[in-house]
Amino acid sequence: MTTESKKTPLYDWHVSQGANMALFGGYSMPLWYPAGVKTEHLNVITHAGIFDTSHMAVVTIKGNGSLNLLQKCISKDLQACIGLKKAPLSSGRSVYGVFLNDNGEVIDDAIVSQAGENDYIVVVNAGMGSMISQLLMDNNETDDVVITDLTDQLGKMDVQGPLSARILSHVIKDADKVFNRFPYFSFKGHFDAGVSCEEPVLLNDGTPVLLSRTGYTGEFGFEIFVEKEHTVKLWELILNAGSSMGLIPCGLAARDSLRAGAGLPLSHQDIGPWPFINNPWTFVLSYNEDQSGFSKKFTGDQALLSQKDADFTYAFAGYDPRKITTEGAEVYLSSDENKSIGKVLTCATDMAVGRHDEKIFSIASLDRPENFKPRGLSCGFIKVNTSLIEGQSLIIKDDRRKIKVVVVSDIRPDRTARRPIKEMLL
Amino acid sequence: MKEINELKLPEDVRYSKDHEWAKSNGETIRIGVDDYAQDQLGDIVFVGMPEVGDKFGKDEVFGSVESVKAVADLFMPVGGEVAAINTALEDAPELVNQSPYGVGWMIEIKVDNSSELEELMTKEAYLAVLQGE
Repeated sequence: MTTESKKTPLYDWHVSQGANMALFGGYSMPLWYPAGVKTEHLNVITHAGIFDTSHMAVVTIKGNGSLNLLQKCISKDLQACIGLKKAPLSSGRSVYGVFLNDNGEVIDDAIVSQAGENDYIVVVNAGMGSMISQLLMDNNETDDVVITDLTDQLGKMDVQGPLSARILSHVIKDADKVFNRFPYFSFKGHFDAGVSCEEPVLLNDGTPVLLSRTGYTGEFGFEIFVEKEHTVKLWELILNAGSSMGLIPCGLAARDSLRAGAGLPLSHQDIGPWPFINNPWTFVLSYNEDQSGFSKKFTGDQALLSQKDADFTYAFAGYDPRKITTEGAEVYLSSDENKSIGKVLTCATDMAVGRHDEKIFSIASLDRPENFKPRGLSCGFIKVNTSLIEGQSLIIKDDRRKIKVVVVSDIRPDRTARRPIKEMLL
Repeated sequence: MKEINELKLPEDVRYSKDHEWAKSNGETIRIGVDDYAQDQLGDIVFVGMPEVGDKFGKDEVFGSVESVKAVADLFMPVGGEVAAINTALEDAPELVNQSPYGVGWMIEIKVDNSSELEELMTKEAYLAVLQGE
């Protein structure tokens, strides 16, 4: 059986620019453009890149009972999730969480944004819109909640990199006002012209967009949502505005190497149908203070609390750019190369980093060694059957080669995602 | 990705089905990957090389190229002994993308059987293969 691949509104643009296209999540997407993935990866760290992410799915949840429904379905406690004081999610704020099944296994990850009281926008992965909508409907117990799957009805693009705000200030109205007070994981405006916003975000021609200070690269930047018909126009407006500041289009290959170096999981690869514990991302679980339980009830909570022998997921970094293919790859303690302790989930090369005296530096590190020209480091995630500590030396092997790697708590240093927006507009 | 008519396929080298090229330098034969291979692979971040003196038969694996997308084996288009390797690729593997037939060459070999070079494809024959792929 063959299934036709889906196309985003930017498909023709990608092809006309000579992009190397590949199938991802059912969509024909650009892997890289003629500049090449290394240039694209580095450019996001030094300047900015724009990614077509229209393949991702948006689901809206509105009406009385929306908060209760989401509280039941998602791992994060929306009543206690913002800042160190764990304030409730409020309008204009977003959180990252996972949808679990009764066994505590991941169905998908998501960013939940609150547009208003009992009014939420949930962004999930390509092809997951209908499944997550159905999951929400199955859990819904009131008649007041309206769940809408907007799959393929919106355009979405991510502008990522330190110059993102400066570039976008040329395409949006009253940019000074929009960019005043815009913390990480907050958003302004709405893609739906019918929604009245306290702080709308409009293009210079009046087109409304939802501008969100989030992304999937670890770098400062934005995700932008717009009605489908305006996608190509917005893409070209941003590229024109940004070309003099070094903005280039970037494909999924750079997106993958950037997110791996930033320690971000890929749903269905690094998190998936196994219990969501013992991994670097358990901050999305609404643990109570002493971690003996959760601050709310949600699907999968009991399964997680009763897990006894679940695997452990760790980030790793290698010593040079060489990767292994993850299919069938095994993990060994460097002291015992005979007994596999687990599998490799992701193995990518972050081309912006290198080691100097065992410490990892990035091309963006202010304290990088003189004449630092990194060749890149392999990095990613492993899932093993035993608890490991940071610094543990490992061997990962595929049928072609073995490489030495080490368990790390972080990979690419000096990322910009959380930098205050004021600094990024100077 | 390049269209077939955009590929640089010089007339003065011979091509293998594995997308390598070979060219006689008189005493030795120089080998590299062609424009099609480097374009398919994308940015090359590492080239795994043999050592001078290693011997390989025709179609044997002599090294690997690693791009962001994949690791690909390098196959000997003709059999022989490695006489030289391009050490510049150690620090600048991107030369393979920038100049696959020039400074991005990979190894030079002393051939066992010089007729093997003649058996490789001309540009025209290779183009026909690519158009069939």
